[in-house]
Amino acid sequence: MTESTDRVDRAGQESRPVNDEVARIADLSKTFHRRGLKALDSVNLTLHQGTFTSVIGPSGCGKSTLLKIMAGLIPASSGEVLLHGMPVTGPRQDIGIMFQQPTLLPWRTTLQNVLLPIEIRSGSDAAQARSAEALQLLELVGLEGFDHVHPHELSGGMAQRVAICRMLVTGPAILLLDEPFGALDELTREYMNVELQRICRERDATSFMVTHAIPEAVFLADRVAVMSVRPGRIAELVEVDLPRPRTLDMMTTPEFGALVRRVRHSLDMGTDAGGQA
Amino acid sequence: MTQTTQVQLGPAEMSEAEELWYAGRWIDRVPQSVSIIVLGAAMLGFWWLIAELEFVSRILLPGPAETFEELWDTTQNIVTGGHIAEGLWITTQEVLVGFLAAAVAGFVLGVIVGETRLGKRAVMPYLVALNALPKVAFAPVFVAWFGFGVNSKIVMALFIAFFPVIVDTAAGLHAVDADSQMLFQSMESSRWQTLRKLKLPSALPFIFAGLKTAAVFSVVGAVVGEYLGGGHGLGELIRLSAQTLRIDRVFALIVYLGILGLILFGVVAWAEKKLLFWHKSEIFEIQGTG
Repeated sequence: MTESTDRVDRAGQESRPVNDEVARIADLSKTFHRRGLKALDSVNLTLHQGTFTSVIGPSGCGKSTLLKIMAGLIPASSGEVLLHGMPVTGPRQDIGIMFQQPTLLPWRTTLQNVLLPIEIRSGSDAAQARSAEALQLLELVGLEGFDHVHPHELSGGMAQRVAICRMLVTGPAILLLDEPFGALDELTREYMNVELQRICRERDATSFMVTHAIPEAVFLADRVAVMSVRPGRIAELVEVDLPRPRTLDMMTTPEFGALVRRVRHSLDMGTDAGGQA
Repeated sequence: MTQTTQVQLGPAEMSEAEELWYAGRWIDRVPQSVSIIVLGAAMLGFWWLIAELEFVSRILLPGPAETFEELWDTTQNIVTGGHIAEGLWITTQEVLVGFLAAAVAGFVLGVIVGETRLGKRAVMPYLVALNALPKVAFAPVFVAWFGFGVNSKIVMALFIAFFPVIVDTAAGLHAVDADSQMLFQSMESSRWQTLRKLKLPSALPFIFAGLKTAAVFSVVGAVVGEYLGGGHGLGELIRLSAQTLRIDRVFALIVYLGILGLILFGVVAWAEKKLLFWHKSEIFEIQGTG
């Protein structure tokens, strides 16, 4: 209850409290020396508590590289990513990550898969102790009663829900999503987007999603960062002021269409510039 | 609505084109057991015909009847603990010990090759070169080193059987998908944890493929060792039988070698099915429990 009123307040007044900054990407650049490729060039972006940021761009624009640097999986060439004011220098417990493939371990049950990050960091006993929490997460994503099922008995959408639980189980401050539903069929994908929105709202999650589907980027986001290619940089930030919770019906409204057109236009500008260079 | 369903299901309603299409697949409509038995009978008949018409001397190619008679005699000898039973037991020991040694050595070397840079860059080229050699050619060397007893045969079985285990174990460790490895990296997993909780379990289907090849190869190794290094195993009995032109006995002994190899293969395949319940072949189990 308090959470939702908080949200309304925030939407009502323009100014945000200073301390709600979760992550800041500061002047981030990445050069792959071996290939002589400048993947990212001076990227700046601030992520606020409870907001959803979509990153979209043509392939090769460095959006996945950006996500990996934010996750502490690869180092930046210059600049830094600050998470709660602390520079990210490697993988951290307060970073949750999810990929296009569910990457569940097929020999483990759903519950064991969800508890994997705890087991790796703190051992089997600690994981065992958090079972109740993991079961609650499964309930949150609508997988009640599937805790002792193995992944091969789950559909693609269900497997990605388990991956969501595994990402959430450590209580991360930020969720990094790398085309999370890109491998699913269109109908499941739309449904999972609605589900993801619900889960993010319930948890007041701060999310950062890489995608190459414009409607998906707009549907989920408070802000769409459009990237241009070679070198990868943020060409434009498109604010999405559609009311929440959003429904699939909204995707047919003129407002939604206008935002999609704006993102597409921005993308086209970026690729044209890249093509001429 | 019901009419269209009937049209789809009723074979009597099939169009000429459909009938032609299905006719091309008659083999799919015969139960597999029947097709296996029919083909086996045809081959036996062919064998009988060749032997009966004496295209080849009866001594060099005994017919099915003589061979089955000899197989019966051999079986009686084995059941009553005769000298063939002794030979079978010796060869079984060579095969088993050789296989187990190949499994352990192949697995350890496979992990070294698959998991370490040194293994991949320095050890693997030597293993590839060694694997390209005709390994059977080493049999006399092993006999010289380890004598005419079971040891030289065990080493031969090990030597022939452990390459597939190395190669498949290393390949399995390399086949782990990049996203899963990134996931483990993001969980701050140590190298040992990643190996134990991700890479080795993922590699198990590959490792079992290598073990199944090794099961067959270890029989080859033991028999080659016996052909060239004497002893009292089945290989030696086959060699002696062939020298005295007892081809029917050679066939009977080969049947027992085949059974030995099949049992070992079967045990490995059974262990695979039990351990890899999550891998492809468990589909039947789901249906059973569900």
